[in-house]
Amino acid sequence: MDWQALILSLELAAATLLVLLPVGLWLGRWLAYTGFAGKSWIEAMVVLPLVLPPTVLGYYLLVSLGGASPVGRWMADTFGVRLTFNFLGLLIASIVFNIPFLVQPVQRAFEAIPRNLGEAAAVSGLSVWQTFWRIELPLAWPGVLSAMVLTFVHTLGEFGVVLMIGGSIPGETKTIAISIYDRVQSFDFTGAHQMALLLLVFSLVAVGASFFASARLAVRR
Amino acid sequence: MSNADAALTVDVEQTHPMPLAGSLRCEPGELLALVGPSGAGKTSMMRVLAGLMRPERGHVSVGGEVWCDTARGVFLPPQRRHVGLVFQNYALMPHLSALHNVALSLLHLPRLGRLAQARHWLDHVGLTPDQQDRRPATLSGGQQQRVAVARALAREPKLLLLDEPFSAVDQMSRQGLYRLLADLRRELSIPIVLVTHDLNEARMLADRLAVMDAGEVLQQGHPAQIHRAPRNARVADLVGIHNRFHGQWLGPAEQPGWGLLRWVAEGGDGIEGPLLRVRDKGKLPVGQAVNWVIPGDGIRLLTQAPQGPGEFRATVTEARHLGEITLATLTLTEVGGAKLLLTLSGPQRQELGMGVRVGVRLDANLVHVMPLRPS
Repeated sequence: MDWQALILSLELAAATLLVLLPVGLWLGRWLAYTGFAGKSWIEAMVVLPLVLPPTVLGYYLLVSLGGASPVGRWMADTFGVRLTFNFLGLLIASIVFNIPFLVQPVQRAFEAIPRNLGEAAAVSGLSVWQTFWRIELPLAWPGVLSAMVLTFVHTLGEFGVVLMIGGSIPGETKTIAISIYDRVQSFDFTGAHQMALLLLVFSLVAVGASFFASARLAVRR
Repeated sequence: MSNADAALTVDVEQTHPMPLAGSLRCEPGELLALVGPSGAGKTSMMRVLAGLMRPERGHVSVGGEVWCDTARGVFLPPQRRHVGLVFQNYALMPHLSALHNVALSLLHLPRLGRLAQARHWLDHVGLTPDQQDRRPATLSGGQQQRVAVARALAREPKLLLLDEPFSAVDQMSRQGLYRLLADLRRELSIPIVLVTHDLNEARMLADRLAVMDAGEVLQQGHPAQIHRAPRNARVADLVGIHNRFHGQWLGPAEQPGWGLLRWVAEGGDGIEGPLLRVRDKGKLPVGQAVNWVIPGDGIRLLTQAPQGPGEFRATVTEARHLGEITLATLTLTEVGGAKLLLTLSGPQRQELGMGVRVGVRLDANLVHVMPLRPS
């Protein structure tokens, strides 16, 4: 068992969720409540990471963030920070890759809230912020919870993008999925099996528990 | 503050996103009913009043406060208006108990005071303590409606808006809610605006009626007055005046204040209809084609044969006995088969059967004449 890789994966998943959650809540809510001409294209961009091969996404991230790219050079010159083959690069890739997994369920959850509830809140004197905390978020919570679990578990299992942008540097970019691949490459099937089974069971339990919780929350209404 | 200041005055004109036009006025303690078919703009008008929709051009003021004045760029959001709005389908928060739904209107108070005040309002609308702690889904339609009313009242509104509040509750709860509304009107000295498509409800509850169609306020006034003198044929249709006929205005009669109206039979081409002597307000040119209406109160069944002016022979062509009342259709043979619709109660209706010949008298005082082009 590669504990270092497991811990790194958990850290990456937690950091991804931490950064993506506020952004995803905002973006999902915005897409749910606003209609405008180019909305379909924005929604298409949100879904893109879901349909593209991870290697395609990883390749473009590598090209656009790498040391030879304008962004990469600027970051290196200004902050002395590299965006590829380290944890930060991995985090950026993971955030981009998880956008659909978080934003889509959040958007659906906000869309399911009857519009007149927001209006009733406004007429009752609630500010937009109060309405968000007291009405919208509690009502959207089952969907938001599923989205969070999905994002977390999905990050643990991500392979292609991580390999493209992070390589396989132990303790820095070698996640559990890559570690499993390495074990198989070196014919350590026992080690691969241990980690694969752990990932399988964890994913099943996490997603199952979130579905169960969502259903319970929905019934209590 | 004087009473005149507390009145609601509205003046709206817009073409986009949907047409909406008209002026409304509602005094404090008065109940103004907006009536009209669905899509008439009633709910849009209500949204303008609540601040949920910004009109292209318009002015709304309540209690001396200007809530909207597009000419000066004033538009208060709903949060700053102190409007009590009872939504059509209640719009209660499904995840909150009745108590906490009402407490939402009281967030400016500290928590304990908020809950005590919310209980007070729920007591007031007649919810038991047990019901107050339950979520909306476990309450009946009528109870949910009461919670919605309590939430609106807890806002201490300067204007109370009721959007089709009785449409989704059963007849039993409806009677109770009518009583609640009557009580509220006595207690609250604020303008109340009720949106409804139910004319009987509007007539029963409202002091004033505003008839809307295709986004426009066509007429407003006391219900009886609109019923007696609808401004045009469309208003007559919308307020459910069935006895509407065509005619031609022949100018003043010899007696001052009276004029002559030729009843023009529908499709009865060439038939010279009878003359009616009716009230003349001196507004119509001679020869003007007109619509005219007569309310049910102006139609009387005669016990003897018709002979005088305004009296006609008729045949009962339909008689539907519905409980305590009878809906009858009388066909007037002298006027090319014109049909009078009549609602009767009492012993008179027992004699009405299909094919029975009767005489009717139209009360000239109650005939109301309108120019054919809607003004």
